[in-house]
Amino acid sequence: MLDLKLDTSGDFYTRKFQPTPEEDKLILNMGPQHPSTHGVLRIILEIDGEYILRAEPVLGYIHRMQEKMAEVKTYVQYLPNMGRVDYLHALAWNWAYVGAVEKLMGLEVPERAEYIRVITCELNRINSHLLWWGAYLLDLGAFTPIMYAFADREIVMDLLQRITGSRLTYCYYRFGGVSADIDQKFIDDTKEFCKYMRSRFPMYKDLVTDNIILRKRVEDIGHISLETCRKYGATGPVLRGSGKPYDVRRAEPYSVYDRFDFEIPVYNTRDALARYLVRMDEMEQSLRIIEQALDSLPGGDYIHPKVPKILKPPKGEVYFAVEGARGKIGIYLVSDGSKTPYRLKLRSPSFSNLSLFSDVARGTLLADAVSILGSLDLVIPEIDR
Amino acid sequence: MNSDSAQLKENDACGQASCSDKRAGYIRSFCLSPNKLLFAVKKLDELGYFLEDVSCVHVKEGFELVYHFDHWDNPGRIVLRTIISEDKKEADSIARIFPGADWHERECYDFFGIRFKGHANLIPLLLSPEIDNPPLLKKEKEKKDLNQLLPDPEYDLTSSQDKEFKEYILQFSKSKSKEE
Repeated sequence: MLDLKLDTSGDFYTRKFQPTPEEDKLILNMGPQHPSTHGVLRIILEIDGEYILRAEPVLGYIHRMQEKMAEVKTYVQYLPNMGRVDYLHALAWNWAYVGAVEKLMGLEVPERAEYIRVITCELNRINSHLLWWGAYLLDLGAFTPIMYAFADREIVMDLLQRITGSRLTYCYYRFGGVSADIDQKFIDDTKEFCKYMRSRFPMYKDLVTDNIILRKRVEDIGHISLETCRKYGATGPVLRGSGKPYDVRRAEPYSVYDRFDFEIPVYNTRDALARYLVRMDEMEQSLRIIEQALDSLPGGDYIHPKVPKILKPPKGEVYFAVEGARGKIGIYLVSDGSKTPYRLKLRSPSFSNLSLFSDVARGTLLADAVSILGSLDLVIPEIDR
Repeated sequence: MNSDSAQLKENDACGQASCSDKRAGYIRSFCLSPNKLLFAVKKLDELGYFLEDVSCVHVKEGFELVYHFDHWDNPGRIVLRTIISEDKKEADSIARIFPGADWHERECYDFFGIRFKGHANLIPLLLSPEIDNPPLLKKEKEKKDLNQLLPDPEYDLTSSQDKEFKEYILQFSKSKSKEE
């Protein structure tokens, strides 16, 4: 006979999440297989009817101990890991890691390589925002936009596949440059894509952004104050949607970003719509950067000609930050002068952005929690690392 | 369009601030005694800094806790570090001042087994609750001492740093009030 008695004691985390003694409160597990969490995120909620009283994210379902892996691999062997931390903006993580090592070694990157990095990283950012856009609207119940988003994403993926060799988990940057040069076809196709993508934005706006059904789901929902952003260390579109024009590309200009003319989109309404609009505007700014970089692309090497085969950065520590699609990506590297890092810490933007969720979700409707979660643009492998 | 973007650049404080390109990626680093940590973090909070991350390095001297802070309007990374002994394995939690530190400290508890005093919810974050040997601890022969790891140990580890931190804070607040 099967034992059909229900085990109501819950697991470690539900037992830690003590319910308040009041009556008529329900403890609800959202996830780890909830479709709107896009990955395996679990949130324990205490709800009163449709309203959230408390929310506690539970992490670690796809934890891979990336930081331990760094300590047992050589610098080069660890490179492919970077594409798998945040699979949607893999090139930004590539950049953060190679940038940290280059900074520690004092390794010069040829100008052409810097431009190629800017172009590919911004293409990747557009790709990431497009996927977020499609998936977010899917969460909110609109099925069509993800089809449009994926059709446009496909063009960028083809572009990047030609030069990087992969479609999602890129490992294209090398210490001192990039792994392969770009050719005339890539330049022409990318210019063509920029024109095409620009012509798509008005349609996106008419079809989706100005749609009353979307507006009702995102306007005035999930207010995040600047003070909350600061206390939790939120960055990226979440911070810029709260009215602070903070972008690592401007604040700590790395590579050749100081040569390009672009704006930092900012919205002051602090709600889910503001974060939505920031990302939509950012795609246009990325196109601007790409076009400028393509027009002023210098010749020369695509990788430093004398990078040692076995890398041994000098003793010391370094912190290097880049602006990813979700915010500030930071790498803290401590080297003891050997072939492997002594300690590598990955600062992931989604981690900090999600940590403010329990604060923001308190008192909102359960259905709005989905909207707030989506507007944070979470990538779970990046949080769990 | 052009005048618009020029205007935007002027308003945008980040665009103008210069940033140190020192090799280690920060403008100042302070090595504080563990009991001064809370005071320092409170001061940085008052000055409008935000917390980037909390991490830990296992060294011969014990555990080096590293706190990275940055500022939106005056970009420039500040590093606070404090060294705690291996037997004690205990530090003050800064989660009451920066709630964002909550998860970072739980991560340090997961990876190194460091207990944070005053932390409201110090339970495993990323690792399974059944795991009881912190994965990032180094074996005795793998450990290096701080003099070998820091770019400028004599500067970074001198004991007068508590005082220096106070001076820095005073200077920063003065320059800020002048701007206003």
